[in-house]
Amino acid sequence: MRSPRTSEVWRLGTVNYLKSLKIQDKLVSERKAHQIPDTLLSLEHPPTYTLGKRRTDHNLLIPQSQLTKIGAELHYTQRGGDITFHGPRQAILYPIISLRSIGFGARNYVETLERSMIEFASMYGVKARAGNKCETGVWVGDRKIGAIGVRISSGITCHGLAFNIDPDLNYFEHIVPCGIADKEVTSLRRETDALLPSEEVIHKQLITCLANAFSYDDVVWKEDPSVILDTKDDE
Amino acid sequence: MALTLMLASSRIASHLRISLSHRAFSSVVLKDLKYADSHEWVKIEGNKATVGITDHAQEHLGDVVYVELPDVGRSVSQGESFGAVESVKATSDINSPISGKVLQVNKDLSESPALVTSSPYEEGWIIKVELSDAGEVKKLMDSDKYSKFCEEEDAKH
Repeated sequence: MRSPRTSEVWRLGTVNYLKSLKIQDKLVSERKAHQIPDTLLSLEHPPTYTLGKRRTDHNLLIPQSQLTKIGAELHYTQRGGDITFHGPRQAILYPIISLRSIGFGARNYVETLERSMIEFASMYGVKARAGNKCETGVWVGDRKIGAIGVRISSGITCHGLAFNIDPDLNYFEHIVPCGIADKEVTSLRRETDALLPSEEVIHKQLITCLANAFSYDDVVWKEDPSVILDTKDDE
Repeated sequence: MALTLMLASSRIASHLRISLSHRAFSSVVLKDLKYADSHEWVKIEGNKATVGITDHAQEHLGDVVYVELPDVGRSVSQGESFGAVESVKATSDINSPISGKVLQVNKDLSESPALVTSSPYEEGWIIKVELSDAGEVKKLMDSDKYSKFCEEEDAKH
């Protein structure tokens, strides 16, 4: 009889990318030390391009000097995956999960993230699918609707998934998204005629799909985001 | 028929000094290596060691598309990260099973990271290390303990 598994969820609103990295670093250390249970961060970013560990900056199609003109930042990270864009109306989930507690490797973990997004899309009648080999992520036909980029250290995950609700897709024109040249990027807004509820409801639905996919017995919705947003920037 | 195959494979396995566990999803565990609970293996030869990730690790990663190697000459510590592999858009840290100094890195992995997937114990070796503390090896698992460890981990889901 396995012990019940709990996850805590923090809904953070719009968070600057670097700040979100600091928050995640802290949570990963705390999770590794068994000071906190599995934790999900739900948030959005202001317009931000990010690169993974392989630093594939040849997939940024405009000079870095132009980024401020279009109101975007660029950050290099340690996550897997290629270049991507994050921005308003794109729902991001950063699960800080101990994979060893559930005996998962990277593959199972990523497949479960994909299933979460597919389940969420189906709530709006959108038939999404996991990517083929080398195309990790969630697709509607040949159009990418959800991206994944993850880091696992000592069996604890950080970074996570990004699902396009209704972001400004023009920002994707300035990159070769995920390094895949001839495929489009899409959004929930584009793929469904259904009336989209408020951001808050949408984020809650996505979180619930993920919590179900990971079979949490108990989900604790934390009420006061300032508890983890007010990290001291003294490092 | 299945029993005959199992017996034959066990005979072949003991000839090759491989231990097989007859579960539905069993990975290869070699008898003469030591193992860390983060799924790296180490082969000790005198005061030199070769390190890689296990078959169980590569199966659970998916196809490896990138390996981040440390610099030669850098020190590594038991249980600490020294590099990473990328698969399915996930970077996973590789932890060293032993402490010491990196003597050599497998440069083939820069061109052919998939060697970690296809040959985790042979051509997919990752670093060679000069040991600084041979006593640390006692903290690692032998092949039987590691096989059991893998079974227990896989049973968690």
